[in-house]
Amino acid sequence: MTFPIVPDLLSSLFKKPNTNPFPAPQLPPTVTGLLDEVNQGKAELNPPVPAPERLRGKMTYNRETCIGCNLCIKVCPAHAIEAIPAVKKVRFYVSQCIQCGQCTEICPKQCLALSGEFLNASHDRYDRSLIVER
Amino acid sequence: MKTIEVKKPSGYFTQIGPAHPALKEPVMFNLDVEGERIIKADFAPGMSHRGIEWMGLRRNCIQVIYLAERICGICGITHSISFVRAVEQIAQIQVPVRAHYIRSIVGELERIHSHLLWAGVAAHELGFDSAFYLAWRVRENVMDLVEYLTGNRVHYAMIQIGGVRRDITREQFPRIEESMKFFDNAYDQLARVFLDDTTVQMRCRDCGVLTYEEARQLCPVGPTARASGIKKDVRVDHPYAGYADLDIEYMTPDRLTGEVRGDVYDRIVVRLLEVKQSIALVRQLLEQMPDGPLLAIPKPAVLLAKLKGAAGEAVGRHEAPRGEVMHYVRLEAGKDEPVSWKVKASSYSNYLSWIPMMEGEQIADIPIIAASIDPCISCTDRVALVQDGNRRVLTKAELHRLSVEKTRRIQASLSAR
Amino acid sequence: MSVNEILLAAGGALIMAFFSMVGGLWFAGIDRVLAARMQARIGPPVRQPFLDIAKLMIKQNVVPANAIPWLFNGAPVVALASAVTILLYIPMAGIPGLPILQGHGDLVLIMYLLILPALAMVAGGLAAGSPYATIGAQREMVTMIAYELPLAATIIAFAWKFASLGIEHPFSLATVAAQPVWTLVGPVGFMGLLLLLVTMLLVVPGELGRIPFDAPEAETEIAGGLLVEYSGRNLALFTLSLAVKTIVVTSLIVGLFFPWNLTDILAVACCATTAAMINLAFFILKLLVVMFFSVTLVRISVARFRINQVVDVYWKILGVLALLGMFLVMADALF
Repeated sequence: MTFPIVPDLLSSLFKKPNTNPFPAPQLPPTVTGLLDEVNQGKAELNPPVPAPERLRGKMTYNRETCIGCNLCIKVCPAHAIEAIPAVKKVRFYVSQCIQCGQCTEICPKQCLALSGEFLNASHDRYDRSLIVER
Repeated sequence: MKTIEVKKPSGYFTQIGPAHPALKEPVMFNLDVEGERIIKADFAPGMSHRGIEWMGLRRNCIQVIYLAERICGICGITHSISFVRAVEQIAQIQVPVRAHYIRSIVGELERIHSHLLWAGVAAHELGFDSAFYLAWRVRENVMDLVEYLTGNRVHYAMIQIGGVRRDITREQFPRIEESMKFFDNAYDQLARVFLDDTTVQMRCRDCGVLTYEEARQLCPVGPTARASGIKKDVRVDHPYAGYADLDIEYMTPDRLTGEVRGDVYDRIVVRLLEVKQSIALVRQLLEQMPDGPLLAIPKPAVLLAKLKGAAGEAVGRHEAPRGEVMHYVRLEAGKDEPVSWKVKASSYSNYLSWIPMMEGEQIADIPIIAASIDPCISCTDRVALVQDGNRRVLTKAELHRLSVEKTRRIQASLSAR
Repeated sequence: MSVNEILLAAGGALIMAFFSMVGGLWFAGIDRVLAARMQARIGPPVRQPFLDIAKLMIKQNVVPANAIPWLFNGAPVVALASAVTILLYIPMAGIPGLPILQGHGDLVLIMYLLILPALAMVAGGLAAGSPYATIGAQREMVTMIAYELPLAATIIAFAWKFASLGIEHPFSLATVAAQPVWTLVGPVGFMGLLLLLVTMLLVVPGELGRIPFDAPEAETEIAGGLLVEYSGRNLALFTLSLAVKTIVVTSLIVGLFFPWNLTDILAVACCATTAAMINLAFFILKLLVVMFFSVTLVRISVARFRINQVVDVYWKILGVLALLGMFLVMADALF
C-alpha cells in the first residue's frame, strides 16, 4: 500500500498557501466601507497578481486619427463596434468586446490598441467606463 | 471483453444527468441497474446545443476564427487551427514555416494544460481532492506561460488564416524553458501521485474497460483510442504544422506499464505520457524554429479580399488534447461568409465508447468513466430536435430520407441556375 | 434515582449537548482549515461551520412531495439526540461529574448507540423518496455492517484483557480510564494494541461518513446520497449530529487508548478546578490530534472507495488486522 501524496500534504502544512489572495482576506461587512477605510489608509488591500506585458485588455481609441473606414467593424467577431456615420467615427462597447485585437491589425491608421487594463467589471453594461469613444 | 450476466431484461431504471455533480457539462445517462451494478447503459446528448455553426455562416472567415476558438472553453487553439487549415486549403495559401512552428508550440502548451485539467477533474470524480488541487496548481504555471506568450489565459487569438498573429521571440525562450523545467519536476510528482497511489489503482484498474476489439469497432480518437492500444494520432499519421519535423510517436500505455488493458488507469497513463511528450516537443520546436515571416498575407484587408474570391470545399484536421477534430468548410466566390461549416469535435467520436465501458460496472464508477474520455459536451452538441416540447431522436431511415430530400433540393437549385 | 438526580442529569445533558455541538463545529472548522493548508489553500475561517449552520437555520425546510413527512422530519432529531446521548456515557479527562450517566452503561451499549445516528440517517434517506437517497441508504447500511467487525474486535480485546486480569466490570469505560491498557500488556500485547489503534483510527472515517468511506454520501456519484433531499433546519440538524459524532468517536478512542491526564503525568497537585481545566485542555488537545490523524489526514490523502471496496477494506484488511491485534493481546497473557 502506497500513498505517495502524504509527504507532500504534510510538508505543505508548514508552507505558505498557494492561493492568489482576494483583495480583502474575507468578505467585509460593507464593501464601500472597506474602500473608504483603504482611502483613509486604515486598511490595506492585497495587490493584484501582476499581468504580463502582452496582456490583451481594454480597447484604446484615438478618435483624431480615425478616418471612419469601418474596416474594424468588418472584422470584429463580437459585433462590439458601432459606426457613427454622421461624424465618420466609431464607438466600442467593452462589455461586448472579446479582446481578440483583430481590429487593431486591420486599422489603416493604427488608431486602435489594446491596453493592459483588465479590471473592467461593472454593474451596467452601458456604463461610461465600458464605452470607448475617444 | 466483459461478460455481463443479465438475469432479467431490466432491473431498476435510474438516470444520471443532465445536471449532476458527476457531470461537468449536461448529458443524460439512462441506466438499468441491479443493486449497484449497471446492466444496460445509454446516453442522450443534445442538452446544450448553441447554434455556433449557424452564427458562423453569418460572419466572414476572419471573424469565424474567433468564434471557432470559443466552441470549446478548454481547447482555445484546436478549433481555430482546424478551421484555418480548411480555409487555407481552399484559398491555396502557403503558411510560412515559422508560423507552423508557433502553431505547434501553442498547440502543445494547450495539450499540457488540457491534460492537467483533466487529471484534476478525474481526481475530483474519485473523491481525491488533494490530487485535484495539485494538478490544477501545476496547471496554473502553463496558463501563466500561455498568457505571457499570447496575451490571454484561455482564448489565445494566435491563429490567423495564413499564419499566426504574434511571434515567439528569442527573448521569451528562457521563460518557456523555465516552465518546461518546472513541468519536468511536476510530471514526476504527478506520475507518482496518480499512478502509484493504492486507492487510485483500486478505483481505476480494470474499471471502464474498452478492449482493443471494441475500440476498433467504435472508432474512438485521441487518448481514449490510444489507451486501448490503437495507434492513432493525426500528428503522426498526417503531419501538419510543425509536426512533420519532429520525433513524435504514438503514446500507448504499454510504454510505461508494459501492457495495454484499456481501462481508466490506462487513460490516466496515456495522458500523463502525453504531457511528458509535449514538454519534449516544445523543447524540440524551440530548438528547430527557423526565422521567417509570420503571415502569408500580412494585411487582413487583402486577406479578406482574397477569401472573397476563393471557392471550394476542404476539411481541416487537428489532434486536439481529446483526439482528432475535423472542420468541413465550403466557400463560394463572391461571398464573405462560409456557405457551409461543419464541426466534428473529438468527443463526438468518443461518446459511444461510454456504453461498453459502463455496462457491467457500478454506479460508483459512472463519474470516473464519464470523465475518462474527457468529454467536451458543449463542443459536440450539434443539433437537438424538439417538437411540441418533446425531444425526438432521428432514426437512420429518417436521416436518410432527409438527406435524399436535401440532395434533390440542391440539384434542383443548381439546374435552375 | 431520586428526582433530584434525574433533574441534575437532565440539566447536565442539556449543557453537554450545547458544548458538544459548539465543540463539534469548532472541530469541523479546524478540520477544514488544516485540510486546506495541506492542500496549499487558504481555506475558510475556523468559524465557517457556525456560519453554515446559521445560514441553514434561516433557509426553507423543503419536504419532497413523495417523502414520508414524519419520518423525514423525525430522522434528523433522532440522529442528533442519539449522538448527544452517547456522549453522556463517555468519560472525559477525569473531570468530576463526567460522564453524567457514570456507572449506567458500558462499551457494548456505546457500540449499539453508535449505530443509532446512522440508522436515523438511513431512515431519513429511505423516507426521502429519491432514488439517490435510496442508493445512499442502502450503502449506509452496508457500511454500518462493514465497520462493526473491526470495532467489535477492538472492544472484545479490551474486555478480554481486563477480564483476564480479574478486574471487575471489564466492559465498563471507567475501568479502562482508570488503568491505561498499555500499562497492562507486554511487548506482544503492545504490538496488538498498536494494530487495534490503527484499526480504530480507520473505523472513524466510516462512522463519520468521510472519505474514503463516504460512499453513502458520495457527492460526485449520488449527489449527497442520504442527504440529497435535506435542506434548511433538517440539514442543519444532521450537520450538528455529525459534528457531535466527531467528538463522540474521537473521545471514545481517547478514552480507550489515551486515558492519561496531564495532572497525573506531571504529578502536579493543585486545586480541583485548576486541575480540571488543565485536564480538559489536554483532553481537547488529544481529541484534536486523534481527529487530525483519523479524519483530516485520511480524508484528503486517498480516493473514495466503491461500496464493495468499503466492505473489502473493513472485513478483509481492517477486520483481519483487528483480529490479529486481538489475538496478540490474548497471546500476551501466555508469555
